[in-house]
Amino acid sequence: MYAWKCWRESRARFFFLLIMFTVTALLFTVEPGLEVQNGWWHFDRSEYIDNPLPTVHVVFSMILSVLWCSGFLSAVFLGATAPGSEIEPGTIEYLWTRPRTRTSVTWTHWGVCVAEMAIVAVVPLYLAAALLGTLTRYWDFPYLFIAPWMMVIVGLPVLGLTTLMTALRRSASGGLIYTSGVVLVYAILRQIIIVPLHLNPPTLFTGPLIWLVNDNQFGVTPSAFPWGSLWRAVFLAAAFPLAAQYLLKRAEV
Amino acid sequence: MSEATILTEGLSKSFGTQAAVSNLNLQIQPGAVYGFLGRNGAGKTTTMRMLLGLVRPTKGRMRVLGLDPSLEMELMRILQRVAFVPQRKQLYGWATPAELVRMNKAYFPRWSDEAAAGLAQRLEIPMKTAFKKLSIGNQSKVALLLALAQGAEVLILDEPTAGLDPLMVDEILRTLIEDHVSQGRTIFVSSHHLGEVEQICDWVGILEEGRLLLEARLEEVRQEYRLVIVSGENLPDAPSADVVSATTDGRFRRYVLAREADRFAAGLRSQGASILEISPIGLRELFLHLVRKEAPCTPGNAGAKAAPVSSFS
Repeated sequence: MYAWKCWRESRARFFFLLIMFTVTALLFTVEPGLEVQNGWWHFDRSEYIDNPLPTVHVVFSMILSVLWCSGFLSAVFLGATAPGSEIEPGTIEYLWTRPRTRTSVTWTHWGVCVAEMAIVAVVPLYLAAALLGTLTRYWDFPYLFIAPWMMVIVGLPVLGLTTLMTALRRSASGGLIYTSGVVLVYAILRQIIIVPLHLNPPTLFTGPLIWLVNDNQFGVTPSAFPWGSLWRAVFLAAAFPLAAQYLLKRAEV
Repeated sequence: MSEATILTEGLSKSFGTQAAVSNLNLQIQPGAVYGFLGRNGAGKTTTMRMLLGLVRPTKGRMRVLGLDPSLEMELMRILQRVAFVPQRKQLYGWATPAELVRMNKAYFPRWSDEAAAGLAQRLEIPMKTAFKKLSIGNQSKVALLLALAQGAEVLILDEPTAGLDPLMVDEILRTLIEDHVSQGRTIFVSSHHLGEVEQICDWVGILEEGRLLLEARLEEVRQEYRLVIVSGENLPDAPSADVVSATTDGRFRRYVLAREADRFAAGLRSQGASILEISPIGLRELFLHLVRKEAPCTPGNAGAKAAPVSSFS
């Protein structure tokens, strides 16, 4: 029943993200065929029929270059409804006096968010691929089956971080602001170190996503898969929610 | 004597240097309706939260239904059998009471749909309005409905009638008496409304600054407790173990006695004091005498029951 509560509480954010990414993906898909004639938008399919392979690559790369952030955004916005967010408004007294362990509550919420994140990653991409395939009659999409899962895997550490931050800050807004702050500070610090020192350190956990987006550029030679970054993503995806679970188990309200 | 439903021994909780509850010994028997009284900040809510695992004690031990709330697995078994109405009756704002009922019943195997429907009707709860749009009174009623329909063996109610109009207070008290007290369920209730406590409780505990000043049967208070007002020179502060409190009011001294008031008065009279009044004392007067700060001569717990024999070993 707590899973239903998590869904009920996050569904508005979920539908917003799903619609936003789906519309974006579909717009990118039809963009090569759109042209203005006599002041009106017209759709011309000839580009898709005449050059199916380059069109698929270009459009799919464009879609990936926009949808890559779906995992991050879903993680932050959906993760902000984590159990820690109930402390400040006071509903935690109700929640924690139900016969469910705090551990199960934490992981139920996590599970619901992961399911929602997966849908937000899969549906826009697969709908766009279906439309693109129909228009070009070309169905060989590079990395179509792994792309959404890369987005989810790279989003998981952020989901865990948001869960942890809501537990630390004891509110949804606190969790959201602090997660954004941590990510922003990390990105800035990384740039400060990289640019003046001309370093090229491996990414912490976004490697698979960068690999996916870069390797889908038309004509680019595929590089080696960043396994180290993937394992770091998996480690952080587990470590952050475990830390949140520990905090919540010890929290007094 | 059967095992106490709620038992605390030397239970203490401090927030930093501030002691919220100090060395609290409670023993609430099965079927008792126990009124937990005290001023704001006396430690009532903290005690209840400790019993439900929301706050960890700094010191001491506790049992609810023979189980230890500080152990997670035992706490889960407690929570299946205990209903709680918190002081701050905050539920999910987006949910309607009907949705909250559906959500809540999934947690409790002994949930009664019949009781929930009956309570919704009796308390006139708009079941299809979002919780955040309900008045404070209606929000309190929803919290009570969720607790009362749970089929719990123990009810822990923290100011359950706060924000309700007198008609609804009466309805709630009648429901508690008819549906819960009559079935032998244990109720541990904190309230500032002493009239309500007198109406439903058979035991009272008075807490002040985290210390239990008095624990007594209400019947005993009614039949045996007396207020003795005395005038005289060099009157003793607490001349007897039966003195619950002694306060000075100008030339007069007021003693509250748990028993043997006549013998106590005779003793003072023999020392030259004038006995101005010996009268029964109500719960309200007793409470005020115990917690009033002006010129107290005793800590006010002289007449309290002895600490219970340990049941933890």
